[in-house]
Amino acid sequence: MNIQFVIMQLFNGLILGSIYVILSLGLTIIFGMLGIINFAHGAFYMFGAFVAYTIIAYLIPNFWVALVMGPIVMALLGAACEAFILRRLYNLPPLYVMLFTFGLMLVLQDFIRMVYGAAGVPFRTPSLLDGAINLGFMFYPKYRIFLIIITSFCSLGVWLFLSKTKLGAIIRAGTDNSIMVDALGINISRIFTFVFGMGIGLAGLAGVLAAPLQNVSHLMGVDFLVDCFVVVVIGGMGSISGSIVGGLIVGEIIAIGVMVWPPMAHTLIYIFMAAFLLIRPRGLFGREAFHE
Amino acid sequence: MSKSKKFTQLMAVVVLILGFAVSSAFSAETLKIATLTDMSGPYAELAGWGNINAAKMAIEDFGGKVLGMDIEYVYRDHQCKPDLANQKAIELYEKEKVDVIFDCPNSASGLAVNNQALRYKKIFIAITSGTTRYTGDLCNRYTFHWAYNDYVLATSAGMWAADNLGKKWYTITADYAWGHDLLKHFSAALQKRGGTLLGNEMVPLGASDFSPFIIKAMNAKPEVLALLNAGKDTVNSTKQAVEFGLRKQTKIVHALLFPEDIKAAGPEVFADNYVTASWDWKVDQPGSKEFVAKWMKKFGRPPNWFNAGNYSCVTQYLLAVKRAGSKDPQAVVKALEGHRFSDFFASPGYIRPEDHMRVGKAYILRAKKPSEIKEAWDYFQIVGEVPMEQAYMNSKDTGCKMGDF
Repeated sequence: MNIQFVIMQLFNGLILGSIYVILSLGLTIIFGMLGIINFAHGAFYMFGAFVAYTIIAYLIPNFWVALVMGPIVMALLGAACEAFILRRLYNLPPLYVMLFTFGLMLVLQDFIRMVYGAAGVPFRTPSLLDGAINLGFMFYPKYRIFLIIITSFCSLGVWLFLSKTKLGAIIRAGTDNSIMVDALGINISRIFTFVFGMGIGLAGLAGVLAAPLQNVSHLMGVDFLVDCFVVVVIGGMGSISGSIVGGLIVGEIIAIGVMVWPPMAHTLIYIFMAAFLLIRPRGLFGREAFHE
Repeated sequence: MSKSKKFTQLMAVVVLILGFAVSSAFSAETLKIATLTDMSGPYAELAGWGNINAAKMAIEDFGGKVLGMDIEYVYRDHQCKPDLANQKAIELYEKEKVDVIFDCPNSASGLAVNNQALRYKKIFIAITSGTTRYTGDLCNRYTFHWAYNDYVLATSAGMWAADNLGKKWYTITADYAWGHDLLKHFSAALQKRGGTLLGNEMVPLGASDFSPFIIKAMNAKPEVLALLNAGKDTVNSTKQAVEFGLRKQTKIVHALLFPEDIKAAGPEVFADNYVTASWDWKVDQPGSKEFVAKWMKKFGRPPNWFNAGNYSCVTQYLLAVKRAGSKDPQAVVKALEGHRFSDFFASPGYIRPEDHMRVGKAYILRAKKPSEIKEAWDYFQIVGEVPMEQAYMNSKDTGCKMGDF
């Protein structure tokens, strides 16, 4: 194992981490604002990939169009979900919402399986990003480099939106105390819908971005969902910076695990999470009131 | 209770009792066949309904009866989970009282059924799973292995590729029983042809990111990369190998590759890769084109060789029952052992009594480039053939001690 390989692997870890970052951003926003543990997040990620595939295969054969339209469609789907169904469950014990999202996950997965079959569908990298860049000691795929760049922009965008805009301020206030925000005359239920939609839109974006790298099938979200929860827990539930840092950490742990002890690579993140929680239950940047 | 209600209840009980009597009278007259397959797990597209339909078609084409008995057919889903497979096998042999179980994808599941077959002293014919242990250390008098095994996959593709593609190999292996078995046989085949294995990567089953292993493989600069995995892992590993530009210097050989995988990922992903197959719908054997035409008419697409294997196997089993003159498992086993035949799938075929392996020839397939594909499902070109005697392991070396009943 030479130094070049190690550097390459650490870089790979960033790529993997990038997908986790975008996925967890959505999950943590939804949890932070709405207090909902969205078990269907992985399924929405998968659904986003299939929406993109459908756009490319049947409507406009252009990856970039799908990259923009896919998350928008998913955001609308998420918003509709919240407005028409989830909203009615808020008065019930939290278990009901969790059950609903779990059931929704199963429905989404099986729906895709029925429509597209169990083997999956083809998804190519866009021709602009096809091929690899010669880094001297090896070739590295252009698409993966693009992934890191776009993820950085997205994370920055989300962070800027939430910390610098008025709507962002309202959302953050609502996360802290939604009753007070409501009492101040702001239509909190519309904010909820928007936030849920945004979270799902981010999940869909992650799905479209990950699609060229792997087998796009109805089960592609299953593995990612649990890892996503690990990221959110490590980073702190409800914290944006937590998801970003947490996502990259988890990606790197898996990358290092694969170098050092491949069968345990995935398990290592759970061990890390457990150890981390023992020291700091709130996660990296989580809010104290929740956990201590 | 009113009089009419009492009467209705009495009639209901009488009908039930009569029903039981009648049905038990009938059950002695039927031959009950079962397919245990993966209908909702990772191999559902390859096996699943395709294999069930193949069995149904075989029974139908046989006439639905044998030796005056009606043939009853059931199927179960084991989702590629060994514990579920074990449970279903017990249910089929004990509760449903089936006479034979066919198929069982996923070697770990198959080995569980193998156990139950010996326990219940009923026949099990593994078709879609590949482990050589069915005909090796875990062989028993009631289990047969039909369409292929890991040795064939590895040796045919291995020897042909070592002769034609290159002698310096690297392998990426799915880290479980099947992967290990394949690695063993591929390495042996490679060595026989004077090749060298530069390195191997064990990858956890179901991993979605193969990039570190591909990078390692590329660093070693092999002439051939063997991907010892199947289904989703094959798609992911190949897609990512292409992404990293591995195919510019290295040829890829697969353990298993099906038209369904190629369709799922897109033909450009698999173009110019090689694999072994026991049969292909383009093969020019007697009866092959007719079978394909019949299947196409009914299902709108050609059968894959798992489906074809299931059809062939069920038919040969029914013929064995006829030869034996009884459905008694021991008699049927004896009728199967040593039988030489020729059908559209195996031409010729021979069921070895020493280890219960159905041997036949193997084909080497090359996945076509998108520009070469002329019609739907036309994904492969047949580039080589390995005769029956070389394709399968010599029965002296399998390690099978075929016991008694």
